[in-house]
Amino acid sequence: MTRMTTVDTLHGEALARAADDAVRAIPPAWPLTATVAVNPFLGQVSKTLDHTAARLARIGGVRLTLPRKHYADKIANGEITDEDLIAALQSSALFNRIDLPALKAAVGEEPQPVVALPTIADLAARATGKDWPGLVSDRIGTFAAGFFDQGQALWAASRRNGLYAAWRAFATHDLTPEILGLKRFSIHVDETPETPQGAIERAAVTLGLGAEPGTYFHQLLLSVGGWAQYARHIQFKAEVEGRTDSTALELLAIRLVFEEALYAQHKTEIEREWQQVRHKHVEPVSPDFDTVIDGLLQVAAERAAQRKLTATLAAPTTIKVGELRPVLQAAFCIDVRSEVFRRSLESVDPAVRTLGFAGFFGLGASHKGFASDVSEHRLPVLLKPSVFSCSAADHDGDADRQARFGARATRAWGRFKLAAVSSFAFVEAMGPVYAGKLIRDGLGFHKGKRPDAAKPHFAPDIALETRAVVAEAVLQAMSLTEGFGRFVLICGHGANVVNNPYASALHCGACGGYAGDVNARLLADLLNDRAVREKLAVNGITIPADTVFLGGLHDTTTDTVTLFEDDLETDIEPEDIVRIRQWLAQAGSLTRAERARRLPRATADSVIARSRDWSEVRPELGLAGCRAFIAAPRTRTAGRSLEGQAFLHDYVWKKDEGFKILELILTAPVVVASWISLQYFGSCVAPSLFGAGNKLLHNVVGGVGVVEGNGGNMRAGLPWQSVHDGESFAHEPLRLTVAVETPKEAITDILKRHAQVRALFDNGWLSLFALDERGQMAWRYTGSLAWTDMRQDAGSEIIQKAAS
Amino acid sequence: MIHMLPLLAPLLLAGASLYAFRAPGLRPRRAVRVVELAALGSMLVVILSGVVLALQGPGTSPALGYRPFALASRLDLVSLVMLLLVSFIGWLVLRYAGTFLDGEARQGQFTGWMAATLAAVLLFVQSGTLLQLVVGWVATSLLLHQLLLFYPERISARRASRKKFIVSRTGDAALIGAVILLAISFGTGDIATILAAAREGQGLPLTIAAAALLAIAALLKSAQFPTHGWLTEVMETPTPVSALLHAGVVNAGGFLLIRFADVMLQAPVVLAVLVMVGGFTALFGSVVMLTQSAVKTSLAWSTVAQMGFMILQCGLALFPIALLHIVAHSLYKAHAFLASGSAIETVASIRRPGPVAIPNAKAVGRAFLLALAIYAVIGLLFGFADKPPQALALGAILIFGVAYLIAQGLADAAPWALTWRTSLYAISAATAYFALQRISDKLMLGTLPATPQPGPLEWTLMLLAVVTFGVVAVAQSLFPLWAYHPAAAGLRVHLANGLYVNALFDRLLGGWMLPRTTSATPASVKE
Repeated sequence: MTRMTTVDTLHGEALARAADDAVRAIPPAWPLTATVAVNPFLGQVSKTLDHTAARLARIGGVRLTLPRKHYADKIANGEITDEDLIAALQSSALFNRIDLPALKAAVGEEPQPVVALPTIADLAARATGKDWPGLVSDRIGTFAAGFFDQGQALWAASRRNGLYAAWRAFATHDLTPEILGLKRFSIHVDETPETPQGAIERAAVTLGLGAEPGTYFHQLLLSVGGWAQYARHIQFKAEVEGRTDSTALELLAIRLVFEEALYAQHKTEIEREWQQVRHKHVEPVSPDFDTVIDGLLQVAAERAAQRKLTATLAAPTTIKVGELRPVLQAAFCIDVRSEVFRRSLESVDPAVRTLGFAGFFGLGASHKGFASDVSEHRLPVLLKPSVFSCSAADHDGDADRQARFGARATRAWGRFKLAAVSSFAFVEAMGPVYAGKLIRDGLGFHKGKRPDAAKPHFAPDIALETRAVVAEAVLQAMSLTEGFGRFVLICGHGANVVNNPYASALHCGACGGYAGDVNARLLADLLNDRAVREKLAVNGITIPADTVFLGGLHDTTTDTVTLFEDDLETDIEPEDIVRIRQWLAQAGSLTRAERARRLPRATADSVIARSRDWSEVRPELGLAGCRAFIAAPRTRTAGRSLEGQAFLHDYVWKKDEGFKILELILTAPVVVASWISLQYFGSCVAPSLFGAGNKLLHNVVGGVGVVEGNGGNMRAGLPWQSVHDGESFAHEPLRLTVAVETPKEAITDILKRHAQVRALFDNGWLSLFALDERGQMAWRYTGSLAWTDMRQDAGSEIIQKAAS
Repeated sequence: MIHMLPLLAPLLLAGASLYAFRAPGLRPRRAVRVVELAALGSMLVVILSGVVLALQGPGTSPALGYRPFALASRLDLVSLVMLLLVSFIGWLVLRYAGTFLDGEARQGQFTGWMAATLAAVLLFVQSGTLLQLVVGWVATSLLLHQLLLFYPERISARRASRKKFIVSRTGDAALIGAVILLAISFGTGDIATILAAAREGQGLPLTIAAAALLAIAALLKSAQFPTHGWLTEVMETPTPVSALLHAGVVNAGGFLLIRFADVMLQAPVVLAVLVMVGGFTALFGSVVMLTQSAVKTSLAWSTVAQMGFMILQCGLALFPIALLHIVAHSLYKAHAFLASGSAIETVASIRRPGPVAIPNAKAVGRAFLLALAIYAVIGLLFGFADKPPQALALGAILIFGVAYLIAQGLADAAPWALTWRTSLYAISAATAYFALQRISDKLMLGTLPATPQPGPLEWTLMLLAVVTFGVVAVAQSLFPLWAYHPAAAGLRVHLANGLYVNALFDRLLGGWMLPRTTSATPASVKE
């Protein structure tokens, strides 16, 4: 215990704070079983993009904008105009330091590539010519893969006492570092303090960090890539549930122990450089000239997109929204993929109307599927489940039991296939069967996975009072309190792909990375309930007796819609269903034709086959292209093509008493949409840090994530194939434009109360606009709770142009 | 002349490969289609060759070239089975790659290298002469090297391919040495003549030396302990390459032993070494596989183990069964790699039906007794009497594996329906492989030599194999009861690292030194 004296307890608290800050600078990454998009800059929302870019340039060696050529091309082809550049310049810190010609000259030249500050592993690699960073990432990867394994290996690592303790048990036995030249490493680990905090403090003393590691801890966590993000997600989830967790902190401690050991071994060669690096980490982060120019060009590109959106919303439309009662009223998720389908569906027949709402339809369900013990959180990850449900039919428990026996026998068979010795018997007995499987999968003969047939229901059941309250809240939030159609389709969405580790990334983000069928069916059932309707009528929401709510699932890969009419307890006319199916089928084929234009190698007819092709890396493009969020009545956007790039949320502010629903929209769906938009942004501009790498090399690890190739860091974010089609970006990285039809004062008022949301807008992670009473983009939020009138802006720009 | 027909198969693919190399740029759709058609065409050629074999009997085509330096196509059941296997898997892998690599800048080149590699394998397995054997063997390896380095900027890709390069060139040297000794010893380059002579003759020292060199070449090619390291590290290249490597190329070693079965039988000591190395690798690989959390890495360890088992079968002189194993394993492994993207769903579905019922020692004991009973019954049905003891020993090893399946159903917590199902599965599996072995034996009668009566050395080795496999099988069945005990933690770490053989190999080669040209960017920041 002599080494206790070397631990600098004086700085303990400061270091703990610094370590916690570093952990919170890392975005969480959910397992691929149910993954959701996460804003990779979640820890930096209180700073601007420029500032964040400067920080990540220092510690990650990346720029957060595309190469200048991208912007130069857009200027050359007129997409970005001088007005956009001037507007971007006016809002920039360079306003008085550079004029338009100088800016244009700067666009022509690529800036110097940025180089990250070296870690000790990097310095040791330079000094010895040995790939120490690779070795560290390989060792941490091998350990973490076993620790986080959810069932891939039959013999996973023990998780006893948490990550750090488990790693110490691993590293004191692992001879690899010593064989490859990190001398006495196991002994070094054996002598580390038993707590991660202790290890961090000791390493800080050894490395001479004092109380101020600066950006160093953040860099170390970045260097373990997806493992840090996965560990951070465990903490994030714990905190949503009101617990605490230190997994990510423990990972930092582990990474520091490697730095400490390498430092001890190579101190003489690297000491001088390390002292310089250490001081650089403590310097305040500030963007340099090139970074500010980059940021400015990014703003100009976004201005250009906003100009286009303004024009789209201002264009006259021939569509007249019928006054008659709609036969089919279809509610879809706000997901950008719904926009195309909704537009197609509305064009099929004037008796159809659509609306948009977050795809979990306000029912935050913790759901157990048919014959399953696993609780799936089918709700936005920011929320706690509010209802519990399952698909096991009470009256038919036998079917559930039989299905479980089948699944368990299959599982036993799977273990037989993988276990030592028995795997030989498996191969000899079953190998030839795989000739058939190869043909089946190679030619796409297998059937797609269908949603559970069994109807989901609340378990335990909820009292009528509560059900009525829930139903009312959801209808209010959907702005659907009158004018009910004959049929109301509540349509969730999910993808339909095979052999794709990213399947859940294509599902519904609002349903926590699951398909939206369960929530849609639960809501439809709730609203068909006569007793609930009576309660609703008392509170002024009258649903006509002949209105039928139908649950549905929009398959975004094939654009087919499954209707769950068997859930209904009352019979409906077959011809009604036939007609609805026809409309949906027509809309599907229109949508496929439109999507095929963007999807590489696709024709309208081949889109469906892609969903069953096991070799297809781009079965659909997910939310690629998303750039706008519009909360307004559908009349403002109907008949206008938003090209599958807009989240559409129905919202009628005049019905919104006290702007409660507006508050909900700005704090929940807008935040979820910003996570999606910024995930795409990060995966495009900084794929090495925030992208999942090359799908061709993906190696699924632990049933939760992927590594590229043999091992090393887990990779979080989106794969390169999801944002790039080989020729050009499938997603142009633009931060989201949020446009809400409501008095701007109402928005200001809400921003005042929600600092986190306000930070997103104030720091430019999202742009905010208010639509006027004609649905035109009228007010631009300029930060610090101030707005400018865009119509005046436009006027002044024209005057400026005339003068120049 | 008609026996030259199989030569058309590699020619078609080689032609398509040249076409693909000349297809520049993004999305060379036409080249992708041409190559797939060529693959289908070569499969058709192989099927027609099967018809020829049925009608005309086995034979070697007229030699092209001067005597020892001649190429000729050998058409018999062994080469036909391999041709069928390789062309079938080749077609599916090429078809897969055509879509999978869409949007990749160098797809044309990739397709070209892949078609060329397949052509080389097809040439190799139909070798009628020693020269063709060497050409096919070396060409396959060199072409595959190009595919393994499809992303040359990846440091680990270079590290692994360098290891493979060294192992492969050593194997090449061994094969060339073997071929020279065979040519001298038998005075011909024609493989059929050599085999016929070997079947008649006695084991001359020169032949035994040739057999030893063949065994070395085969062990190196099949990634046997301790040279397995390269195989578990070549995931640095697109998935279809892994599928082709693990299902097509890695079999070359086993094929070599089976092709020269008559020669190998002349050297019982060499066979004994194969039993030991193969048996150890099989156990080692399958135990290491238990600890692997990345799906492709786990599959690679499984290949190491399965190749070990196949080598073990060769060592026991059960050549028809070894050929069956090659076919069965290739089909399984090609599918497993190509479908490895489903691992997320597979793992998720494991967790859905609730906790696993863990069998205790009593249940495991009963399971082993039941398994032996099944073995006895099926053995009686299929006829024990005419089976060589080697086959019986192998059957026992396999039945230990089946016991694990039964044990899972006998756990106290397992409901009756589960017990019933796993038992049914166990009986089906046991029946299936005994039937398949029977078919394989019957089919290869006359083409491959019969298993000789075991001597004391063979008996000792068989006993050793049955006991060690049995012990591991019992440990495996009791697995959850001991694996998470702190005392086992160290064992797990050592196994997860493959007993450090690979790290030692790396150290020997300086594998972790950075190439001079690259800067020391952290691995996490690489593209």
